[in-house]
Amino acid sequence: MNTEQFRARIRASIANQNLQFALDSNTERRLKGRIAAFESLPDWRERRQSAHAIRADVIEHLDKYLNEFIVNATQNGITIHRAKDSAEAIKIVLEIVGATHLSPQQKPLIAKSKSMVSEEINLNHALESEGIRVVETDLGEYIVQLRHERPAHIITPAVHLRRSDVAQLFHEKLGIPYTEDIPTLTKTARNVLREVFLTADIGISGVNFAIADTGGFCIVTNEGNGRMVTTLPPVHIALMGMERLLRNLDDLALMLSLLARSATTQKLTVYTQLIHKPLAHQQRHIIILDNGRSRLRHSPLKESLYCIRCGACLNACPVFRELGGHAYHSVYSGPIGSVISAGLFGSEFVPLAQASSLCGACKEACPVDIDLPKMLMRVRAGQAAESSEQLLVNSEGGGLSWKSKAFLKMYSRVACHRRLFALSQKFAWLGTLLISPFSDYAYLPAFTGWGYSKDLPRFVGKTFRDSWQDGKQVNRYTSAQVDKEISKQVDSYTGKQTEAETRTPAESNSNSSLVSRFVEELKKVNGNVIQTTKNELTTKIIGFLQSRGVGRVHLEPNVLDEETLSTAGISVSHEADPAIRVGVTRAICGVADTGSILETDGEGGKLQASLLTEVHLAVLKKSEIYPSLSDAIHLVQNSKSAVFVTGPSRTADIEMTLTIGVHGPGELHVLLVDD
Amino acid sequence: MAHVQLFVTCLVDSFYPQTGEAIVNILYRLGIDVDFAHDQTCCGQPSFNAGLRAETRPVAEHMIRVFEKTTGDIVVPSGSCAHMLKHGYPELFQDDPNWLSRAQALGRRIFEFTEYLVDHLEVTNLDARWNGTLTYHPSCHLLRGLDIDRQPRLLLANVRGATIVELPHQEECCGFGGIFSMEHPELSAEWLKRKIGNLEATQSPTLVVAEAGCLMHIAGGLHRQKKKQRVVHIAEVLANQ
Repeated sequence: MNTEQFRARIRASIANQNLQFALDSNTERRLKGRIAAFESLPDWRERRQSAHAIRADVIEHLDKYLNEFIVNATQNGITIHRAKDSAEAIKIVLEIVGATHLSPQQKPLIAKSKSMVSEEINLNHALESEGIRVVETDLGEYIVQLRHERPAHIITPAVHLRRSDVAQLFHEKLGIPYTEDIPTLTKTARNVLREVFLTADIGISGVNFAIADTGGFCIVTNEGNGRMVTTLPPVHIALMGMERLLRNLDDLALMLSLLARSATTQKLTVYTQLIHKPLAHQQRHIIILDNGRSRLRHSPLKESLYCIRCGACLNACPVFRELGGHAYHSVYSGPIGSVISAGLFGSEFVPLAQASSLCGACKEACPVDIDLPKMLMRVRAGQAAESSEQLLVNSEGGGLSWKSKAFLKMYSRVACHRRLFALSQKFAWLGTLLISPFSDYAYLPAFTGWGYSKDLPRFVGKTFRDSWQDGKQVNRYTSAQVDKEISKQVDSYTGKQTEAETRTPAESNSNSSLVSRFVEELKKVNGNVIQTTKNELTTKIIGFLQSRGVGRVHLEPNVLDEETLSTAGISVSHEADPAIRVGVTRAICGVADTGSILETDGEGGKLQASLLTEVHLAVLKKSEIYPSLSDAIHLVQNSKSAVFVTGPSRTADIEMTLTIGVHGPGELHVLLVDD
Repeated sequence: MAHVQLFVTCLVDSFYPQTGEAIVNILYRLGIDVDFAHDQTCCGQPSFNAGLRAETRPVAEHMIRVFEKTTGDIVVPSGSCAHMLKHGYPELFQDDPNWLSRAQALGRRIFEFTEYLVDHLEVTNLDARWNGTLTYHPSCHLLRGLDIDRQPRLLLANVRGATIVELPHQEECCGFGGIFSMEHPELSAEWLKRKIGNLEATQSPTLVVAEAGCLMHIAGGLHRQKKKQRVVHIAEVLANQ
C-alpha cells in the first residue's frame, strides 16, 4: 500500500457519513467512559508505571518466561505448539482439527471467540478453504463475519456499523423480519450461536495473558462466548502471540485492573477466566505464534510489544476517529497498529505511521505507557526491522511524498547556516509578497497540501533577527517592574491533579464495609443481591424459583438441601442440560471493589450451571468477600478452569448500546449468606 | 542581572517577530537580560518528525554548537520546539555518546516560555491587561509532551480585564503537526474544522496559544473561512499593559 492508496482510503472514510457518525459516537463514549472508570482507581498512575515495568521485564527476558510457561503448562496437561509464522500456525491448527477423528464426509464445526492472532494469520480463510465451517461467536465478530469483512477495531469489531446496517444484515442472512431493536437482534444471534456452541467439535480462542509461573492463561469476554468455546467443545485451541506473557498472578491482577477500564470502561470484564488445565475429557492446545515478534523485540520498536491490546489508543486517536480500522488495511489499526504493522508485516505498512500529528493522545491513553509517538517516529525513520539481520536501509522518511522529502532535505541544509537561513527568509518573504501583495495571507491551491484548508500567513520582511540586529524594535522596559512580591504569592491554583484519595473502605478490615461495597458494585454491573442466612437459604431459593415458575434447576452438589427442594416440587439436575433455565452454584469468593464472584470447575457440571442457564444464582458467604482482585486471584490456582463473574453477560457491540444477556446468563443473583 | 538565551524558533522569527519582542519585553520587565544567539536557525523538528534523521543531525549539531557558546537558561516560546530540544535530540543522538551528552547538557538548559515564568521565576502575575474574552488551546506537545498546562492557565488567569472561557474539547489536536498537515491535508482539515467549530462555540473573539505552529494553522484556517476570530501567542497577551 503506497501513500497515495492510503490517502484515497482516507478520503473515502471521511466522505462516509455513516462511518463518521459511528466513529464520533465511539470516540466520545469511550473517552468519557475511560476517564470515569479510572476515577475508581486512585492509584492508577502508579499502577500504570508498574504495568510498564512489568511488561518491560517480560519482554526483556521473554525467552526465560516463555520457557517457564511452557514447562508449567505442559505439566498442567496442556499441549504447547510453537509457530514461527502464519503458515506454521495454520498447519498446526489443521493437524489438530484433522486428528479429531471425524470421518472424511463429516467436516468439523469450529466455534471461535475473538482472537486477533487468528485475524493476523487469516485463519478463517484457511479453514474455510479446507471446507471446515468456522463461526465467530463474539457478536461484533459474528456481524463482520456475516458481512465478509475484517474487524474494524480490536475490541469492538463492528464499530463502523450503525444499527440499521445490522438490522438489514440479519434480515437478509438470518431471515428475521427487519428490526432495529438491539435486544431482538442480540437475542437472534444468541439463538443461532447457542446451537453452534452446543454442537461445535472444536473451540478456538485467543489469549489475553499467559502466566509463566502457573502455566495458566487468562481470557476475558463480556458476552460469555470465551467461556463457551473453552468449556463446551471437546477440543480447545488457544492462539497466543508470544509476547502475551506475565510473570505471575499478581502481575495479572494489576493488568486486569487496567485492561478492562481501558478497553471497555469497566472495572472488570464480565467473564475473566483463568484456565490452567484441560477439563475432564477435553484436549487443550496453545499455539504460541512468533510471526515477526522476535524480530520486533530486537528492533528499536521493542516497546510496542508491551501492548496489552486494550484498544484505548484507537479510541483516543484523532486519526482513527476519521478512518476506523479498515482504512489501515492491517488487522492492527490505530496508533499501535501503525507501529506493529510495519514492525511485524513489513515496509508496505510504513506509510501508516506518517498519518499522525504526533499529538500524543495515544500515549496518554495507553495503560502501560508505551511511548507511541516515539515509536511512530522510529517507524518513519526506517527503524522497523525488515529482516532479522538488518534495519531498512536508506529508508528514512518512509511514506513521505517526494515533495515533502525534497523540501525537508533542502530546508535542513539551509538550517545549518545562519546566513543561508536568513537569506531564505528573504526569498520566502518575496515569494509570498508576490503571490499576495495586498493581504497578510497568501492563498495556495489545495494540491500544495497547505492550501487544502488554510491560507499561509505572509513571511515578514523584517524578521525577529533583523529587529534584534537593529536593536531598535525591541523596547527595553526599565520602568513598570512587576512587583515580584505579589507575583510570588502562593499560587492559589489547585490544579487538575487531585490528591490521591484515601484508600477505599473496601480495603479496610471491616467486613461489613466489604459487604456493602460488594453489594454496591454488583448492583452497578446489573447484578442483584439477595440477603439471607444459612438456615433460610434453601427456602429463599425455593421462593425465587416458584415466583419464576421454575420446576427444575441445574444445581451444584452440596449447596442446598435437596430434600427440601424436592418436597417443594423442584427437581434437581447435577449435569449440564441446555433445557434448564436456572443454575445454582456456590461461589468460591466475592471481590468487593469490582462486585465479582469467583466460580471454578467442579462436580456436577458446575461451570456450565453459571454459563448455559438464563438465570444464575450464586451462593456466597459474607466472610468470603475479599477487598480486591489482587487479594482473591491466588484462589484460582488449584482449579482447572476458574472465572471471575462480574454481573450478567453483556455486549455493547451494536452502536455501543449496552445489552444484557448475550451468551451467558442474563440475570445474576448473589445470595449473600450471613455466617 | 540574571540573563537568559532566547531561542526564538524559526516560525516566530519568520512569521511572528512580535511574539519574540513580547517575550523580550516581559523578561526585561522582570529584570532579566535577554541574549539572542545570532547563529540560531531551526531546531530541526520538521525533518526529525518526518523521519529524516540523517538530514536532521547536522541541524541539531549546529544548534548545539551555537548554544554551547552561550551561558544561561534557554527560553523557547514553543512546546514542540522545546520538546525537540529536550527529548528529540537525545533520541536523535542515542547511538552517539559524544553528541548525546552534549544534547543532554543542552536539554537541561531548555525551558518553555510559560514554564520558565511560572516554575523557574515563580512569577504568575505579569500585570498584564486585556479587554475582552479569551479562550486557550493547549497545544499537544506542551500539554502531553511536556506536561505544561497549569502554567499558561495561571498566567492567563491573572490578566486583568480578561474573561477566560474554556474551549470545548480543548485537548484535541488542531491538526497541524507540521509536515503532517501537508502530507495528510484531508485529516488535518477535519480536525481544524472541529477546532474552529469549538472556538466559535465559545463566542470568544480571541484564541490564545503558546505554539506558533498551531497559531499559523488555526489562523490560516480562520482566514480561509473568512472568520473574524484572532489567534494570538500567549506572550503577546502577557506583554499587553
